[in-house]
Amino acid sequence: MGLGSFAQSDALTLGVELELQLVNTHDYDLVGSAPDLLRLLSRKGATWDIKPEITMSMIEIATGVCHRHAEVLDQLEEIRDALVSCADSLNIGIAGGGTHSFQHWSERKISPTERFDYLSDLYGYLAKQFTIFGQHVHVGCPDADLALYLLHGLSRYVPHFIALSASSPFVQGHDTGFHSARLNSVFAFPLSGRAPFVETWEDFGTYFESMVKTGVVKSMKDFYWDIRPKPEFGTVEVRVMDTPLTIGRAAQLAAFIQSVARYLMVERPFMPGEDDYLVYTFNRFQACRFGSQGIYVDPQTNEHRSLADELVGTFSKIEAHAVALGAEGACAELLQGLRAGFSDATLLRDEHALTRSFPEVVQRQCQRWRAG
Amino acid sequence: MIDTPWPAGPFEFGEVLRLALALFGAVLASEALRRLIRLPRIAGYALAGLLLGPMGLGWFAGQDMLRFRMLIDLALALLLFELGVQVNLRWLRTNLWVVAGSLLESGLAFAATFGLLLFVFHVEGKLSAVIAAIAMGTSPAVVMRVAAELQAQGQVSQRILVMTALNTIYAIIASKLIIGGLHGAFKEDWVLAVMHPLYLVLGSFGMGAALAIAFKLLRRHFDFSDEQGGALLFALLLLTLAALEALNLPSGLAPLVGGIMVKFIDPRPHLWPRYFGTAGAVLFILLFVLTGAAMTWHDLLIGGGTAGALLLVRALAKGCGVVAFGPISGLSLKQSLLVGVALSPMAALALLLVQDVRLIYPAFGDKAASVVLTLMVVLEIAGAIAVQWALRKAGETREGGR
Repeated sequence: MGLGSFAQSDALTLGVELELQLVNTHDYDLVGSAPDLLRLLSRKGATWDIKPEITMSMIEIATGVCHRHAEVLDQLEEIRDALVSCADSLNIGIAGGGTHSFQHWSERKISPTERFDYLSDLYGYLAKQFTIFGQHVHVGCPDADLALYLLHGLSRYVPHFIALSASSPFVQGHDTGFHSARLNSVFAFPLSGRAPFVETWEDFGTYFESMVKTGVVKSMKDFYWDIRPKPEFGTVEVRVMDTPLTIGRAAQLAAFIQSVARYLMVERPFMPGEDDYLVYTFNRFQACRFGSQGIYVDPQTNEHRSLADELVGTFSKIEAHAVALGAEGACAELLQGLRAGFSDATLLRDEHALTRSFPEVVQRQCQRWRAG
Repeated sequence: MIDTPWPAGPFEFGEVLRLALALFGAVLASEALRRLIRLPRIAGYALAGLLLGPMGLGWFAGQDMLRFRMLIDLALALLLFELGVQVNLRWLRTNLWVVAGSLLESGLAFAATFGLLLFVFHVEGKLSAVIAAIAMGTSPAVVMRVAAELQAQGQVSQRILVMTALNTIYAIIASKLIIGGLHGAFKEDWVLAVMHPLYLVLGSFGMGAALAIAFKLLRRHFDFSDEQGGALLFALLLLTLAALEALNLPSGLAPLVGGIMVKFIDPRPHLWPRYFGTAGAVLFILLFVLTGAAMTWHDLLIGGGTAGALLLVRALAKGCGVVAFGPISGLSLKQSLLVGVALSPMAALALLLVQDVRLIYPAFGDKAASVVLTLMVVLEIAGAIAVQWALRKAGETREGGR
């Protein structure tokens, strides 16, 4: 399978994918009920894009092509309600959050499809370790070179996206100290990290062909980059976010990304360069580890500041674009949460401090998902 | 004799030695069978019981069930309480088809066994009704132990447990109602015939509620998943059993209903050492050995043929009942069939119900006992295999899938 040409899509259109946790309602451990849930959904005539994921306790939902935050939220609400109603008849719970707080990876089962079997053969236990839950946001691009510009431009904001979405402090029954521990699991994959710095679709094609020639990859799907182009959709896909605890926050994050993308496309505030990536993994780590309390190193000036300050600055830079996109309400709420020191990760930590029980934390995650 | 501190023959070994050897033999036998032919462990315990009982070495007699009744009651109370906690009433309210399926499979099982006994084997009506009532129930001990052994999780496992909890409730209540009817028949005392079963059922629900409230109060201060809390739960169930005995109430219904009420009034996750750790495990092994040992050649001769036919008819009825409402309640056809198959086990609880009848009407109970005993011993072993097969086929066991 070659790279193919880059499909056209309207600039700044949005598509949101969320990977979700399926748990039982007895002890709130993950349960492999994805096939049951999918069967029930299709029996009820659901037309939404809902898919199995690599292990059977995961499910992925996706919106159609949206233009505005309100549209994303409406679609997510509709899908969420359909899911919750089917989950209720099966007595299973659905939860957001980037990791399940106490599941054991070895107990997971690989979904029985050709692709997942292949991945399981290739990656061994990493495949089961990959029972983590992310939010992917597609941003539409009218042409391929612009997509690469956007990809590298957005790379500077990866720490921002991580800090705002972080919801995976717990792994395998322990507090990791991270705000987003989920991304550590992604890093184990050989083709993870960031896309190579190429600025034209032609150069990207050359890179892709040489990778195919090495026999290491077959398709774009084999790259687990933080941000990658999706030529079939004509989009750039941001993949660093944890699935938030509510669809409300998921829609807000999509609106934020859309506003940043508009800011980049319209204002062209900087020209991306390979040197941007000198601080990339450092910034990314700081965001994963400390959330908005982490340090952000400005790739241009090498100035060190707190990510929270950097975020506040970003919100003011993109404000006009958010207004133009009808995303100002969503961005305002994110900013307000940031100022109050709120994040899904800290919320989960608070709930664990309160209940002293991981299963109860998961139970509350389910309630939150259903309500928000 | 007392003068000398040294041991002097002839040595006398009592109960303890027999229990110790029984435990020893049962564990070795079941482990061997598990490794050789992948037999579920509990089926191995029951086979060991058969071997140690009157049909084999004769170490145990049918009456031992009564002597160790306290032990068996406790083991069952632990299991039934834990089963109850897995039943989510809110879910059943949301998905009424599950309840419909449960009523249908139990109703069909009752009708089929009753009809077969009455019309084919010409067993008298009252006796047929008692056996049919008991035959509605699936053994909680077997399904729970096999599911635990395989660490099964998923829709099929969940349905099996919930259907078992429900049909166990029907079986206990129906058999008590029929016993009430028997009161009337034997003593022509119709007030007693109505009031006594009513007392048994309402009393059990009351005790269940008391248990649930006590549990909830204790949970404020204790974590039932640690050792301390586990011991407390043990004590709470013992207390419940003592109260049930004092009030002449059946031992099975209250812990089960109590468990269901606990989940209802306190929907938080419930965690405690599954099956109460090692102490619990010993109890359950003895439970299966003793039920296996309850069987005699006499029972097999009298009850064998009838039991064989009943077994088939009952399995078919339960299967049809589950399949009829399975798909509409959210299962696939295959999953429905597997649930149907897995509802076949009968074990200790059936035996206790028969013994309750026997205690009140010795002559009456004996006839029923032979049939139920045979049915039970076969369905304890074959049923365990059926549950194991169904859970594996459903891909819900830990080792299943990829």
